[in-house]
Amino acid sequence: MTKSIHSEIVVMGAGPGGYAAAFRAADLGKKVLLIDKDPTLGGVCLNRGCIPSKALLHISKVMDEASHLSSMGVTYGKPDIDLDAIRAHKDKIVAQLNGGIAQIAKARKVESIRGTATFKSNSELKVKTENSDISVSFDKCIIATGSTSAMIPGVAADHPSVLTSRTALDLVDIPERLLVIGGGIIGLELGQVYAALGSQVSVVEFLPNLLPGTDSDLVKPLHRKLKKQFQSILLSSKVTSVEPNDDGTLNVTIDNDKETLMQVYDKVLVSVGRKPNTNLLNINATDVEVDQQGFIHVDVYRRTSVKNIFAIGDIAGNPMLAHKATHEGKVAAEVASGHPAAFDVRAIPSVVFTDPEIAWAGLTETEAKENDVAYEKGEFPWTASGKAIIMGAKQGKTKILFDPETKQVLGVGIVGSGAGDMISEGMLAIEMGADAEDIGLTIHPHPTLGETFGMAAEVFQGTITDLYIPKKNW
Amino acid sequence: MIKEIILPDLGEGIDGAEVSEVSVSIGAAVTPDDTILVLESDKASMEIPAEVNGTIAEILVAAGDEVKTGHLLMKIEIFGKAPEEESPTKEESAPVLEVELKKPEPPQPELVLQDTSSADTVFASPGVRRLARELGINLQIIKGSGQKGRITKDDLNGYIKLQMALSSGTISAPPLEIDFSQWGQIEIQKLTRIKRITGQRLQQAWQSIPHVTQFDEADITDLDAYRTELKTEVAKQGVKITFLPFLMKAVAIVLKEMPEFNSSLDHTGQNLVLKNYYHLGIAVDTPNGLTVPVVRDVDQKSIFDLSEELMDLSSRARSKKLKPDEMKGGTFTLSSLGGIGGTGFSPIVNPPEVAIMGISRSIWKQVFDKTSGEFVTRFAMPFSLSYDHRVIDGAAAAAFTSRFATVLTDISHFKD
Repeated sequence: MTKSIHSEIVVMGAGPGGYAAAFRAADLGKKVLLIDKDPTLGGVCLNRGCIPSKALLHISKVMDEASHLSSMGVTYGKPDIDLDAIRAHKDKIVAQLNGGIAQIAKARKVESIRGTATFKSNSELKVKTENSDISVSFDKCIIATGSTSAMIPGVAADHPSVLTSRTALDLVDIPERLLVIGGGIIGLELGQVYAALGSQVSVVEFLPNLLPGTDSDLVKPLHRKLKKQFQSILLSSKVTSVEPNDDGTLNVTIDNDKETLMQVYDKVLVSVGRKPNTNLLNINATDVEVDQQGFIHVDVYRRTSVKNIFAIGDIAGNPMLAHKATHEGKVAAEVASGHPAAFDVRAIPSVVFTDPEIAWAGLTETEAKENDVAYEKGEFPWTASGKAIIMGAKQGKTKILFDPETKQVLGVGIVGSGAGDMISEGMLAIEMGADAEDIGLTIHPHPTLGETFGMAAEVFQGTITDLYIPKKNW
Repeated sequence: MIKEIILPDLGEGIDGAEVSEVSVSIGAAVTPDDTILVLESDKASMEIPAEVNGTIAEILVAAGDEVKTGHLLMKIEIFGKAPEEESPTKEESAPVLEVELKKPEPPQPELVLQDTSSADTVFASPGVRRLARELGINLQIIKGSGQKGRITKDDLNGYIKLQMALSSGTISAPPLEIDFSQWGQIEIQKLTRIKRITGQRLQQAWQSIPHVTQFDEADITDLDAYRTELKTEVAKQGVKITFLPFLMKAVAIVLKEMPEFNSSLDHTGQNLVLKNYYHLGIAVDTPNGLTVPVVRDVDQKSIFDLSEELMDLSSRARSKKLKPDEMKGGTFTLSSLGGIGGTGFSPIVNPPEVAIMGISRSIWKQVFDKTSGEFVTRFAMPFSLSYDHRVIDGAAAAAFTSRFATVLTDISHFKD
């Protein structure tokens, strides 16, 4: 028998976008139903993405720092790695956060159903749960079903030696030889984790740079470090075939301009991007418009072409970032609850949680050059930062791009330890329309890495005293 | 279901009324336009309609009762269902079976979303951008008052206030810039500070006070003779005696008799403040514009004292040496154009005062004297009284001007 229920607002997907939307709408007095296929709330980010990967990256970073203590006079022995304990530690963190979200949902009286939801019409869903089908009619629906790792043609996705970000985080074992296909954020983060745990890691990137699209000066310190940590970094190269051997290893063919390489790896990690989960929604039963890449087209209110259906997060377009989804989730919930909110932001920050970290917000130099945007730059090398020297993080840098006319901050780029935490000041500067003077005249505590943000602005203004820069115009 | 009839806001500051008639009895069938109750307030009588089809279930007031806004007057059992609201009937109040029985709520008015999403060039923080969206303001047209032109929340509030003022007609849209030189030679003269301030005050007074002007004429033949006599008497003391001190004395006398002319409306607009002092503002024309020094306690001063004080005030007004305090506290204003000309004009009340008198040029004329049956020559002074009609009625104004004219005919008032 099909049960049928009605809800004012249905949220499909309980990731960082979905649960934010559900909770916000509940706070605005709406009756909310939250549907997710997972047994726990939190989506990919919490269960199989941001959180578990950062739990592991924290371990690999501390291991690396500990090994560098020998240059400061403290030498540790070779670390003992208990993979089961690491996995348990990671799972515990995830479970703790899962529990937190579940509690918050309960406190807000947000009803949740575990099941797979598909559209029946512009106002109705079918939800398949473990033991029944439920028909859900809604006044408003917010689609927040996210994305899945993309695969490359010719690679057997279900082979146990072929990993995605999801299975890589399961930490089944530490392969001796790991090939990371795709030198983007996820590939480099997980590559660094496995390298720290003992794998010989190689990376293949189709484009001529790691982290394609990121300013090359920010990538450089990371690239230099990865060269030491990884066995090889193959740029402008393409994996043309991955053939399983009987012993579970994989024969991989890599092509580039110069040569064709044949290598054997114990495992490969496919991290060539993510694709929106649109095809799982039976979206054709609605009038929601979807673009060629499978992204749902939305307006500034995060409404789809059907005005009572909203879409947020990965499924509504790039960049696929949890914090973008959360912000969008709140906008959609507010608009769906009758408030005039809109997705009206000046920038969305990006962070690569490798060691060193890379973070940027707003305009990048790469974009500026591609689009012919005029800018001026203030840059502070961490070689002149006391704190960075203490931490052994001299390779870092902080740069700020300014509007040549107004001197307002257009973009910020940081590479180095804690870049992800420091980018928030840049975001605030961008949203508030701060200019070089505002930043330079703000006292930053000493000695910190955060100080480098103020100094970058002072370099631009010519008021810096921590560096000697031959006369600027002042 | 039951419709409760509640006394609505009657407007015009009326918060209560007396029931003069109950037009229906319990059990009577009514249609929406039927009168069920007649009320009487200080100003008018009102009929309260049934608003619905139904039968009178309960009557909670009787003739003679005082009722106030919000008071429950009557209950009507409605035929059929009210379109505007649902109320749970007894059958439906049985335990709700399942969530699925819940009806979708009636369609709410669709949120009107204006795309006010800010261009990146707008200098405003996220919170200000959000407020702009809520208020439906396009930030592109707002001029920021913050540092470096930042748009603040105050700017948005100010913009809303301006829009409200514009739409209520309190102020008008900024006038268009016209290039007058296209039709001939022009020159630009800067308005003096006094002119600009006076201009604003006059505009505000003119727009906020419902003005009426009463015109009249006073026979000052005897007064003129008395003044001439007095003039020569005091000329040796260097004091010039004009008509003005006599007019001031006469005004003070009438103000004492008719106190509402010597009053102000309080800030609530509900009360009249009657003043037991008689400070008269005297409009003085100066090279820089109009100033109104105030002569205090006119009722207690002699013609001679007033003459002296007027000479002092007007000479200091012309040389810009008046103190701010000397232009405050007036209870009534006199504006005399008698020395210049004209047969009558309507001055603008000087708030918070409620009346102003305008004096025009006196003339000699032939008046028919009924007792002697002959024409006699009399000296007549035309004057006008503009007043705030919220405070003063036309009849009172007419009484004021004729009493003022009468006082001027009797010179005993001025001998002290």
